[in-house]
Amino acid sequence: MRTQVPNILGVMILIFFAAFPFVYSAGNYDYVMHILIIGFFYAIMASSWSMLAGYAGQFSFGHMGFMGIGSYTTALLLHYVHFSPEPTKLCTEFQFGETWMIFVNPIGVTSTSLTQDCLRQAMQIWDGSVAVTDVPVWFGVILGTLLGGLAGFLIGLLVLRLRAAYLALFTLGFAEIIKATISAEIHITRGQAGMETPALFENGVTLFGQVYSRTDKLPPYFVFFFALLFCLAILTWLSRSKFGLFVRALREDQDAAAALGVNTTRYKIMVFVVTTSMAGLAGALQAHYVGIVTPNALFLLQMSLVVAMAVIGGVENFVAAALGAIIIQVLLELLRTQIEIGPIVIDMTVWRLVIFGVLLMVTLRFTSNGLIAPIIDYFYRGHIGKETVAKRAKPTNEAEAN
Amino acid sequence: MINLQVKNLNKSFGGQRVLKDVCFDINGPELIGLIGPNGAGKTTLTNILDGALKPNSGTVYLNDERIDQYKPYEIARAGLGRTFQVTRSFRRMTVLENLYVPALAVGNEQDRKIVHDKSMEVLEFLTMDHLCNEHAQALSGGQQKLLELGRLLMLDPDVIILDEPFAGVHPKLMEVIYEYIRRVNDDGKAIVIISHQMDAIFSLAQRLLVLDHGTIIADGPPDEVKKDQVVIEAYLGVDEDEEENDAAASSGA
Repeated sequence: MRTQVPNILGVMILIFFAAFPFVYSAGNYDYVMHILIIGFFYAIMASSWSMLAGYAGQFSFGHMGFMGIGSYTTALLLHYVHFSPEPTKLCTEFQFGETWMIFVNPIGVTSTSLTQDCLRQAMQIWDGSVAVTDVPVWFGVILGTLLGGLAGFLIGLLVLRLRAAYLALFTLGFAEIIKATISAEIHITRGQAGMETPALFENGVTLFGQVYSRTDKLPPYFVFFFALLFCLAILTWLSRSKFGLFVRALREDQDAAAALGVNTTRYKIMVFVVTTSMAGLAGALQAHYVGIVTPNALFLLQMSLVVAMAVIGGVENFVAAALGAIIIQVLLELLRTQIEIGPIVIDMTVWRLVIFGVLLMVTLRFTSNGLIAPIIDYFYRGHIGKETVAKRAKPTNEAEAN
Repeated sequence: MINLQVKNLNKSFGGQRVLKDVCFDINGPELIGLIGPNGAGKTTLTNILDGALKPNSGTVYLNDERIDQYKPYEIARAGLGRTFQVTRSFRRMTVLENLYVPALAVGNEQDRKIVHDKSMEVLEFLTMDHLCNEHAQALSGGQQKLLELGRLLMLDPDVIILDEPFAGVHPKLMEVIYEYIRRVNDDGKAIVIISHQMDAIFSLAQRLLVLDHGTIIADGPPDEVKKDQVVIEAYLGVDEDEEENDAAASSGA
């Protein structure tokens, strides 16, 4: 029964989040929903990073880089690739049957020679007589996920021989390169100006007879919620399979695992591919939710936030890491307030990060596996010690009885 | 029939030759002691045999399969397993999970129930079944040595190399390790024991290999090797009384 407690709590948390958008009525609905959506985004990032770092021991600090690959993949794809029944005769274009795939020319942010890209010019000429189709958002999200995984595969190959601090520095360098490249390629990526992206449901969506517009929060809430559940389901399945066993052995002792027949290369690369795909998915979804992608999202500070969320939740338990991310995100927002103690007014907007930092330090000092994971462990493993003692005493008791 | 052939193995680190033309064969379920002073090259030889290091030259064949360029996991799957001088259990995994790793890695037993039952059998044999759900880090040093031996039973290799299996082990647990070695050897496995504990080596091994400065200086039954003058000078040491008597005799002459 005791081991069922985390499962029962898990189901209750699921029901809570599934019902929340329908029952919440305390005001600031959109704002509260936005906080939770961002919480789900960080939960995907933190839980996937927990699998990479906590389970497999691969302390990568490039997770935001993979997220950025997901974001920019879908943003670039949807910005530059379009379909039309007619050729523009201005753009680079390829014919597939009766459809033309059009690649828009990059014009950067402030082109002096061009104010419109080739497609806009063609559309002006067509004057609405030719329908131009965009790449579907879901396709951009899938491609972003796949390219995040592909980048993870390549990085996984490169870091095979790197461990601990060297791996962390390498992946940190990778994320910075991604950020620097995006910032530098203003011509294509628009640099710090960012690229606008269509909403997840650009034309709105109808759910259970209710019509939701592109700016309504409920549809993206459930998109992120189900994406998180999807990621957690995959991570749970993997952690209970051979994969989970082997990547934990990899974390404990790579050489010993190899000496026992584990193909450490394969599992090291696999864990990179799986977790970076999830980072790519989170990035692609966020790009369409926020409506703009900028290299600022790839800041080291953001990576630190993901790491801190996972550490406070429990880095060796991806469910705890996900819960930690949501709770920290909500707490950080709740602390955006002012506290008045007599004549003293404390602006918590600044101090909240100090509180967050102190919480992180206290967690690391006193509970290395976070604040939530030990509670889950208590229910799953709290009885093990007593059982061991009982089993050890059993042969003695039997001998005495004889 | 188990057959390990090591031919002309050479290994250098920088300019230092650590192994020099090392050759030996293992034919059948032999129980071999590999001894030598510190720095003789025993661990380097083990690391080459298990694939952690690649030799500069020379070959290793296991059951007619050349394995010297294999990766460690391929060698484990080919049938050579080892323990480490310093115990390397998966500390934050349970005792059972430690045993599951080799069983599932070599892929002989994909059924979890079969793997679990076999793991429990192994733990009972090692008198550790009551610890099955404990994390390995909760075990004593000796129990962790036993756990490493248990993992080898799950790997089920033809040739087993035990690197210092008796180091720091309580005498009571040493009996379990003795029993383990004899039983596994009786089951048809070839075992190579690397140890500085001469009593244990001489009571267990049917054959001794002596390595000194990267060269095999003796290979034979323990009783013969014990009397080998080269081995005595290089490793076992000369009895002081005997040395004094010799000196007195030679001065008298």
